[in-house]
Amino acid sequence: MSDGMGRRRFLKVLGATGGGAAVAAGCGTDQVEKLIPYLVPIEDQIPGIATYYASTCRDCSAGCGVHVRVREGRAVKLEGNPDHPINRGRLCARAQTALQGTYNPDRIQTPLARNASGGWDAIAWDDALARVTQRLTAADPNRVWFLTGNEGGSFGTLVDEWLAALGSGHHVVFEPFGYEAVRHANRQVFGVDAVPAYDFARAEYVISFGADFLETWMSPVEFARGFSASHGYHDDTMGRYVHVEPRMSMTAMSADEWIAPAAGTEGAVALAMAHVLVADGGSRVPADARTLRAVLEPYAPEAVAGRTGVGAETIRRLAREFGARPGIALPGGTGTQHVDAHVTAVAANLLNYVAGNVGDTVVFGAHVNVAGGSTYADLRTLVTAAGNDEVAVLFVHGTNPAYAVPGGAVRGVFTVSFSRFLDETTVGADLILPDHDPLEQWNDFEPRAGVHSLLQPVMMPVFDTRQTGDVLIDLARRAGGRLAQGLGPTAAPNATYKDYLQRRWAALQRAAGERRPFEEFWREAVQRGGWWTDPPWTTVRLAAGAGAVAPPTWSVPDGAFTLIAYPSSTLFDGRAANRPWLQELPDPVTKMTWGSWLEIHPETAETLGIADGDVVEVTSRAATLRLPAYRYPGVRPDVVAMPLGQGHTAFGRYAQDRGANAYTLLGNEATAYGGRVHYAAVTLNHTGLHERLAKTEGRNRQLGRGIAQAVTLAGIAEGALDHPFHVAHAAEVPEREQAVLETVERGQEALTRYGPYAYTETRWGMSIDLSRCTGCNACVAACSAENNVPFVGEDQVRRGREMQWIRIERYFEGGEDGEPLETRFVPMLCQQCGNAPCEPVCPVFAAYRTPDGLNAQVYNRCVGTRYCSNNCPYKVRYFNWYDMSTPNDPRTFAWPEPMHWLLNPDVTVRSKGVMEKCTFCVHRIRGAQHDARMAGVELADGDVTVACEQTCPTNAIVFGNLTDPSARVAQRAEDPRGYHVLGGLNTKPAVTYLQKVRHVGEA
Amino acid sequence: MATTAQPDRITVPHEQPTYAEVTRDIAATLGNPGRGYFVLLGCVVAVLGVGVFALLWETRWGLGVAGYTPPVLWGVYITTFVFWVGIAHSGTLISAILYLFRSAWRTAVYRTAEAMTVFAVMTAGLFPLIHVGRLWYAYWLIPYPNQRQLWVNFKSPLLWDVFAVSTYFTVSTLFLIVGLVPDIAAIRDKAKGWRKRLYEITSLGWRGTDYQWRHYTRAYLYLAALATPLVLSVHSVVSWDFAMSIVPGWHATIFAPYFVAGAIYSGVAMVITLTVPLRKVFRMERYVTVRHFENLAKLMLLTGMIVGYAYVVEYFIAWYSGNAFERASFYNRAFGDYWWATWTMLICNGLLPWLLWFPRIRRSIPSLFVLSLFVNLGMWFERFVIIVVSLSYEYEPYAMGHYTPSWAELCILAGSFAWFFMWFLLFAKNFPTVSITEVKEIIPMPRRKGAHA
Repeated sequence: MSDGMGRRRFLKVLGATGGGAAVAAGCGTDQVEKLIPYLVPIEDQIPGIATYYASTCRDCSAGCGVHVRVREGRAVKLEGNPDHPINRGRLCARAQTALQGTYNPDRIQTPLARNASGGWDAIAWDDALARVTQRLTAADPNRVWFLTGNEGGSFGTLVDEWLAALGSGHHVVFEPFGYEAVRHANRQVFGVDAVPAYDFARAEYVISFGADFLETWMSPVEFARGFSASHGYHDDTMGRYVHVEPRMSMTAMSADEWIAPAAGTEGAVALAMAHVLVADGGSRVPADARTLRAVLEPYAPEAVAGRTGVGAETIRRLAREFGARPGIALPGGTGTQHVDAHVTAVAANLLNYVAGNVGDTVVFGAHVNVAGGSTYADLRTLVTAAGNDEVAVLFVHGTNPAYAVPGGAVRGVFTVSFSRFLDETTVGADLILPDHDPLEQWNDFEPRAGVHSLLQPVMMPVFDTRQTGDVLIDLARRAGGRLAQGLGPTAAPNATYKDYLQRRWAALQRAAGERRPFEEFWREAVQRGGWWTDPPWTTVRLAAGAGAVAPPTWSVPDGAFTLIAYPSSTLFDGRAANRPWLQELPDPVTKMTWGSWLEIHPETAETLGIADGDVVEVTSRAATLRLPAYRYPGVRPDVVAMPLGQGHTAFGRYAQDRGANAYTLLGNEATAYGGRVHYAAVTLNHTGLHERLAKTEGRNRQLGRGIAQAVTLAGIAEGALDHPFHVAHAAEVPEREQAVLETVERGQEALTRYGPYAYTETRWGMSIDLSRCTGCNACVAACSAENNVPFVGEDQVRRGREMQWIRIERYFEGGEDGEPLETRFVPMLCQQCGNAPCEPVCPVFAAYRTPDGLNAQVYNRCVGTRYCSNNCPYKVRYFNWYDMSTPNDPRTFAWPEPMHWLLNPDVTVRSKGVMEKCTFCVHRIRGAQHDARMAGVELADGDVTVACEQTCPTNAIVFGNLTDPSARVAQRAEDPRGYHVLGGLNTKPAVTYLQKVRHVGEA
Repeated sequence: MATTAQPDRITVPHEQPTYAEVTRDIAATLGNPGRGYFVLLGCVVAVLGVGVFALLWETRWGLGVAGYTPPVLWGVYITTFVFWVGIAHSGTLISAILYLFRSAWRTAVYRTAEAMTVFAVMTAGLFPLIHVGRLWYAYWLIPYPNQRQLWVNFKSPLLWDVFAVSTYFTVSTLFLIVGLVPDIAAIRDKAKGWRKRLYEITSLGWRGTDYQWRHYTRAYLYLAALATPLVLSVHSVVSWDFAMSIVPGWHATIFAPYFVAGAIYSGVAMVITLTVPLRKVFRMERYVTVRHFENLAKLMLLTGMIVGYAYVVEYFIAWYSGNAFERASFYNRAFGDYWWATWTMLICNGLLPWLLWFPRIRRSIPSLFVLSLFVNLGMWFERFVIIVVSLSYEYEPYAMGHYTPSWAELCILAGSFAWFFMWFLLFAKNFPTVSITEVKEIIPMPRRKGAHA
């Protein structure tokens, strides 16, 4: 490389100086980028055309299949894999933000070794591996421990084989949510140490004892799909869902009835229901259920009513409703994370059994892999062993106990971390050998028996990282001896983890009786994203001692409250807290962002003199935290609640020193069933401090404006939809004026529909079925990922300046004067009005109408008068208050290197001072139109899918052409449940909402 | 000029100045200023500097440094814009409309009012620029031919604003300059040094010949006729920025007259605010008398009554319309988060002018001065209430928000006052703030003693 002026450089300088003369200082880009053409074109890579690779999401144990969209060698978007049996093409909010993990600026970029002064030195891989080898060969094999997260696939097996070859058996799996109580209950009741599959689609009646199955519990996307299939209003009917938990979670917000028993007594409610069913002896009750009669005897509804706070009549009603049809009773969530959680889980099992659901909607065989068979108690064993100096070398991969468990950090042991981030556990390590991101590696995962899901590298690694599987194999080779021999061909020269993986898949193929050549099988599996079969169902019967239950024991001293620490539906157990999109994703329940909060019932708050944002000191036996209060009518007055996931002391710029860590309040004891307690008795103390809450919600009541409309199933049967009600209208219109209005409207219609604006061919529209929307935020995250929507940070959210183009509005109804609390969600995005108030007021035509019915926004033309937003009744336009798109403003730059690699090249990154909003993914529309034109075919319904629609786990959103009568969206627009938000303003929105249907008022 | 007008004579003989005294007294206000003037000017420029710094800061980092909290996307800047446009209205009213109506009492105050108009428009005109997201592209609001064939949207009230304000600025500036010409010529003859050069140029060769006077009076008359409709139209157009929208609290047919009355009301108040100290400092008690103030007070009383009526009508219509959004919006104004702003406005603009029914208060210059300050305050809050409070409580409950101005907005607000006063101070010391020629017109012809009519 010479520094002389070559031809290219000459031209570049010539261009730059010429351009510099024309462009005033401050405009244009700061750096000249090298544009290097592919001298040798890469196979399958056409610049400007995206390539899709199938892979698997590893953000939780659900194991959803993904399609990764890759442009010019960089992953830019994740979408669900439509073939995948778990998620069928849909993804949750966390998966949609996965690229912010891949391209996180705080990723560990090279191997790091701790130096004498306690800091980190970047070292070469060779050096790093040599250091580990030396430690390995020196250590007593039995003192080598391996701690991983749930690795239900080849990697987990490799770790086991590797340890076995070494001569150690200490593989500990730690997942903060290990479902120990559920597994314990299945052992006790059915003699099976596994978690069954739940068939929500078949369940006409779901009763959840705390399970947040639409948020974090097991496999939320899969469950949401099944749930909406049965509970979404269709063909004049729908299922019914009752949620029993002291706190109304996001999942509970979709329930038709929320029952708030005393904390820790969900099990007693379930047992009382079982009692009623056994006593009644309905047709679905199996014969051997009678053996439980004695066990259930003490749990008559009247007997538990006092302790649980749930009336006997309510319990009887629920039991009879539940016993009359296929249903599911779910033990889970915070309902199974307290000292008596195994009782809840056993009770739910018994209830399912006596109601005849086991083998119907609750199916053993296709077992769900939730925590690799390990329990929380195993981690305690490791910590104890380390304390007793029984651990010499500890390998940590994919788990963060130092954050999730008070005192969970293993000290005084040579620790090798494979983490991609400097999390709490890793900052205590001695050596870091950073793993590839899941999108950069070969791997597999088995989320459920029979579902083998593959991961493949979709691009070159972003940093100098190595896949841990390869590292283990390399270590074995280097250490030689027993370790290498024990691994056999796995540790052969030049053998890689991919070879190991393929060998296991070859075995899988043989076991399945597949006779094709392996290459063919493998290629198909990689293309599809895996290989799956339906394992045979196994029939289970009541085991001996199934009914051994004890009454609930949880109680708190006088003056104290029960604190429920629940997994955050956005950050989960905290592992995703370093993704700014997730930090800014409003919590579905409280609409809070970027921090922690304490949910407290308004009445309790009033008694204690606490207002929203008042900083409260929460003291448990284990710790004291300070955090702002959020008054929430969805918790019992004697309960306070707080999300997990925040309060990191490390873990990068976006997570560190943010909010409070609820785990610290919980203590670290293991329960009798090997699980963890997520309840704590706490006292509250008003500190007198106050902070402005970083929440995205203005008011939580609709003020009678009919934004989120609902009917009851009984109401529909009585003809509520025959006369659509018009709360949405600004006022009642007298008949005589109605005639005038109609004349005017006809005139307007004639005047507005002319030339290319006649909408004869296309008017794009959307329909959102509120009876399916669960408020899960997946659409919000998907929209951000698709449309390069920046995050703005906590302070800006406090000023209401969040940018998400689609938001989930959450409104409360009732909840006062003895009325049951009801929640409604409305996804609110640009309504692409036919008569848009934003358009005429823009002085420069930046807001204008396209002939296919879109409200276009021309960013380059926008001057930033913001009149459009003032005039938008839906408030769905977002202004770029700061420069978030360039490093010129480091305080607000939303894409610090290498995060900018996730930007979608099809979508403009908006600059400072311009207005932006939902475009109905216009680039996708134009792309589909282009493809259709190239193929010489007409666009068919479903050819254009917008990002929010694509990811919606419940299929609540449908997009299409309103002028095509066969299109789903056009049919839904004619639905009697359909309404336009604020339709009385004559804005003629292109988005039709279908009223939520509530299954109440009927047994 | 005004040859057919009945001169409103100065009737107190011993206070009646001679022509020579008029020229001398008024010219005495000019010339080299003292230390106090420079201190005052220095303070004003310093405040302006703070405002300019805030603006530069905002331009560098983005509009985020202002306190905007969606859904409130217009705040202090547009409030202040409307405030200054309003201030600008009484100048033209006093100089043009009262001229056409032959109200000779205007002569003592119209120059101040006219200068105030021009400077207020100059101040107001900055705010649409300050408030846009991309200041450097603000010229895109001007319909100029360009290669990309981009054009402006004539349906947008903001564009009407561009024309209304620029037209008003042009006409009011012309009006001020034309009125100044004979006066400048008068002081040109007394000035020395660089000022003489300045006046020689700016008096445009005025020699006071019959020929010049004949054309001058015609020109002045036509300009007055041209400016008169602008008094009504400009603020009507500004009011349509709001009335043309669908925001509850903005979308009202009463807005045009309501804004015009409010504009004149605030303008008259500002004239009083400016004239009282000016009269004192320049020892103009002989020319600007209590009677002038009383007339201004009566004008203020009239427009204040109209404004108060408009308030009542607004609330009545909000209730009478039956429109739930309107009702909620107005209920929120009075009893919502911003109740204090609304009540400031109602008390300052709606209740306090009732005091002017009492002649004692009308004729007391200190009480008028205090009252005018309250009206200025109240009128600023009127615009704040209309803009901010309406926006904070629109249709979508989930998207309602609360806006508080930031330091940058307050600095720019202060800077705008400094900008205005800087021009006014410079003007007052270099050009006659009371019209020499027109004051002379209402002084009786000099006659021999005893021959008084």
